[in-house]
Amino acid sequence: MNIRCARPDDLMNMQHCNLLCLPENYQMKYYFYHGLTWPQLSYVAEDDKGNIVGYVLAKMEEPEPGDESKHGHITSLAVKRSYRRLGLAQKLMNQAGQAMVESFDAHYVSLHVRKSNRAALNLYTNSLGFKILEIEPKYYADGEDAYSMRRDLSEIAKEICPERELSQHGKIEINRGGHEGHCC
Amino acid sequence: MPSSNPLPSKESTLFRKLLKCYEMKQFKNGLKLAKQILSNPKYAEHGETLAMKGLTLNGLGRRDEAYKYVRLGLRNDLKSHVCWHVYGLLQRSDKKYDEAIKCYRNALKCEKDNLQILKDLSLLQVQMRDLEGYKETRHQLFKLRPSQHASWIGYAMSYHLLGDFETANNILESFRQSQALVETHDYRHSELLLYQNIILEESGNYERALSHLKKFENEIVDKLAVNEKLGELNILVGSKQEAVPIYESLIKRNPENVQYYEKYFEAKEMTTEKERLESFKKFRELYPYALCPRRLPLNNATGDEFRKLIDEYLRRGLRKGIPPLFVTIRALYSDTDKMKIVENLIIEYYENLKSSGHFSKNDCDNNKPIEPASVLLWTMLFLSQHYDYLRQTDKALEFINMAIDHTPTLIELFVTKGRIYKHAGDPIEACKCLDEAQSLDTADRYINSKCAKYMLRADCLKEAGDICSKFTREGVSAMENLNEMQCMWFQTECALAFQRMGKWGEALKKCHEVERHFAEITEDQFDFHTYCMRKMTLRSYVGLLRLEDILRQHPFYFKAARCAIEVYIRLFDKPLKSEEIIEEIDTENLPPSELKKLRNKQRKAKRKAELESEQAAQAAIKKEQHQKSKQQNQETDPEAPQLDELIPEKLERPEDPLEKAIEFLKPLQLLANKNIETHLLGFEVYLRKNKILLMIQCIKRAVKIDPDHPQLFSCFIKLAKCLQALPDDLSPNVKEVVEKARKDLIGSKCSPIQIINDGLQKHANKSIEHILEGAKGLYSLDEKKKDEAIKLITSFDISKLSLVEASKVHEALGSGAFGKSDEQLKTYKENCRRHFKYAQIFRDQNESNNLGNSVNVKDVVTKTADL
Repeated sequence: MNIRCARPDDLMNMQHCNLLCLPENYQMKYYFYHGLTWPQLSYVAEDDKGNIVGYVLAKMEEPEPGDESKHGHITSLAVKRSYRRLGLAQKLMNQAGQAMVESFDAHYVSLHVRKSNRAALNLYTNSLGFKILEIEPKYYADGEDAYSMRRDLSEIAKEICPERELSQHGKIEINRGGHEGHCC
Repeated sequence: MPSSNPLPSKESTLFRKLLKCYEMKQFKNGLKLAKQILSNPKYAEHGETLAMKGLTLNGLGRRDEAYKYVRLGLRNDLKSHVCWHVYGLLQRSDKKYDEAIKCYRNALKCEKDNLQILKDLSLLQVQMRDLEGYKETRHQLFKLRPSQHASWIGYAMSYHLLGDFETANNILESFRQSQALVETHDYRHSELLLYQNIILEESGNYERALSHLKKFENEIVDKLAVNEKLGELNILVGSKQEAVPIYESLIKRNPENVQYYEKYFEAKEMTTEKERLESFKKFRELYPYALCPRRLPLNNATGDEFRKLIDEYLRRGLRKGIPPLFVTIRALYSDTDKMKIVENLIIEYYENLKSSGHFSKNDCDNNKPIEPASVLLWTMLFLSQHYDYLRQTDKALEFINMAIDHTPTLIELFVTKGRIYKHAGDPIEACKCLDEAQSLDTADRYINSKCAKYMLRADCLKEAGDICSKFTREGVSAMENLNEMQCMWFQTECALAFQRMGKWGEALKKCHEVERHFAEITEDQFDFHTYCMRKMTLRSYVGLLRLEDILRQHPFYFKAARCAIEVYIRLFDKPLKSEEIIEEIDTENLPPSELKKLRNKQRKAKRKAELESEQAAQAAIKKEQHQKSKQQNQETDPEAPQLDELIPEKLERPEDPLEKAIEFLKPLQLLANKNIETHLLGFEVYLRKNKILLMIQCIKRAVKIDPDHPQLFSCFIKLAKCLQALPDDLSPNVKEVVEKARKDLIGSKCSPIQIINDGLQKHANKSIEHILEGAKGLYSLDEKKKDEAIKLITSFDISKLSLVEASKVHEALGSGAFGKSDEQLKTYKENCRRHFKYAQIFRDQNESNNLGNSVNVKDVVTKTADL
């Protein structure tokens, strides 16, 4: 198993992995949009033949009104069921989180998860330190509610760069709609 | 140059408004404005207005009218850059990029410094990879607007893409120096520095790249990229010591990156097994949760050391209950010694777990605590996967069934059982297992997808669609939604299923859908030409361009293209009758009872076809309405040209199937030229086109990859046959090439029969696939040798064959490659059945069990006849 930052030529295989694993799918252009706007933030896990068995697709978000801090967002996270229990999702998420802090000064990372997805919820709360912020009713196309979750990244920030105060610089990107999906 | 027919102020104002409306996509208002201008009799033929009217119509999706008005406008004002620009924009929206480039060039002849036209031209040039032209245009833009950042970046990039690293770097360096002080955390600046560094690295001057990186390290925010590059460059310039701490820190950051360990060893110059194993041990202690330091040493270790490490690895995995445990070590099985060690260990575990609940007798004797009950389950799963890998189907099934008895709710067990059946050649039973797995967790799409895939392998297309629809958007068919989402694995599997079932048109439809996805992905890059320049993510942008250059190298394309080529070849060899005369089968020679059956069948088929076409017509109407409402709602995206609908009945009756095949072949020859299949397919196409030089070229390329490939043997036989029948009136040049090829490829023994006999002798009792090709050749030369040919293949010891090999022989016998051979086929099938008792294709039709009512149980391994 090998975990590394995603390259443009991984994006098609990430789409393939996504289509196998998750109900929320996107056309290639949306993957290109992520990979070419925030190349540091997406990671892949590959097997010894170079097949992608898991990925995290991530981006930066504009600050919410009244909230000055920049933050990252997980658009999609998936690990093939046949590669579960190796801790890949957690490892992918940690790499993405670190890159958000380092390259984009992120203060926290947010995501949405289906209310019914107990396994994912468990991973986010217990292994990754996410907290439920609120419930977004009917967030998914099929009418299911989502938990909106957040993880504070200041611990990571301190660890990798203790001398640097989190600043307010950096560029903020256009935000496209789209409902993301996860499985752990 | 201004328009030859300038408008007076009132009309001129209207015209400016018209331009504005187009920009704002207010096409209907635009049309009104155009009408106002044109209604003045003095300007009824005003070229620029007519052209803009056309462009506006294009925005409304009225393409034909658009072309009419734009061309009319242009004809009325050939000297106007506006008219040419508009014509270019229209062609561009129609994806006729080459034509659009010509229009822009004409527009620039009228007005050479027009920024907008230059920018538009540069985008098309880079999209079409006219890199020299791109450089010229970027130079022009740079001269006109030296104060803009994008001018510098684009100018530098145009040189980089041409491989002129020096000039590219000089431009970027001047630009960097002209910049004022940078902010502390400037992402764009950081990306630019990394881009410059890539250019230096690609120039091959690693010393310079390294010193550049060291100098600007602090201004780069992407620390991962910096460290990865520092590590690589230090090794490249020979400062390996410097690289060591860098890789240590990278491993600390991400202990799951295989490359970091390899580079670390390279930097440390650790070459012996012992050193590496020691080192991995150290990393295991540092990062106890990491997988790599536990898994990677298994590649290096041998003998007792391997036994010790794998023992720990397996016990840990079995205790934790890691479903992919076997998958993570499968690659080690290429080493038979390692495979044996694993086998002995896992059998030992199993025996001891059964008797005492310990992994080993030793543990038991030392009164170690008993392992958890689940360990036995995971051990049984492992054993079953192990035997499946070795294709020992009985044993594999024995263990998986025990595991299922132990825990009947574990999805992974059913997936494994399905895989065992798949490998044993029983796709129907495999399908049932996956369906069971799927029913245990209907919220998991992965298991749903696997189930659908197995259904397609069993040619159950309807069932596969139904299963998929649990996860596709409501309101549209699963097929449609999956196409919209570019779900290529599904479409390719559908194509292959249709191909097996002989539904050529449907198969081609799926192949073309995949091809269209690739065309769309090529289109996708268009917007990023300007976007990335703004975002300054230039490294990734260059990565995108390089990806797009070789996009069709992707296995998804290869599979779809291969299928399409095979189908087109089949349609060339046995063209379908036109739809009307299809009914008129040779009825004269049938006995009355058969005739009656046939008539009944035809009646039913006709009724079904009528029903289907009615449904299709209704669907078409619905679709049209849908399109219309879409048009009204959003005035259609002018960037999206309408594609012809893919109609199976038309696709399977192509005018020139070989030309169609070549359309799919060309990208493979360009991008998948290391895959021997590309050239073997190419040979078959050109053989049918009688293109002797291209046939020779394909063979030459194939020989370079694998001179011993069985299908290449067949190519040689066919080539030799062709050479014998060459016409005398070849041009001297062609003759020379052919003669040289004959000498190089075939040698002195040039008759087909000699080639066949040599090959058969060489591969006797060794390679059935060669013998099969030889036997086919023998029969095709002389049909009287039928019995001899068949004996060659059927006398080969079946116990030495794999399922795939036996299937190929069986298929050849059934496909008429040896004429009518029903008796031999029957005998061969019976013999195979004894050997491959699970394989569907060797069973009698009526003894195979149907999955559902609509399932068509067919020979699933059957592919197109005699390629």
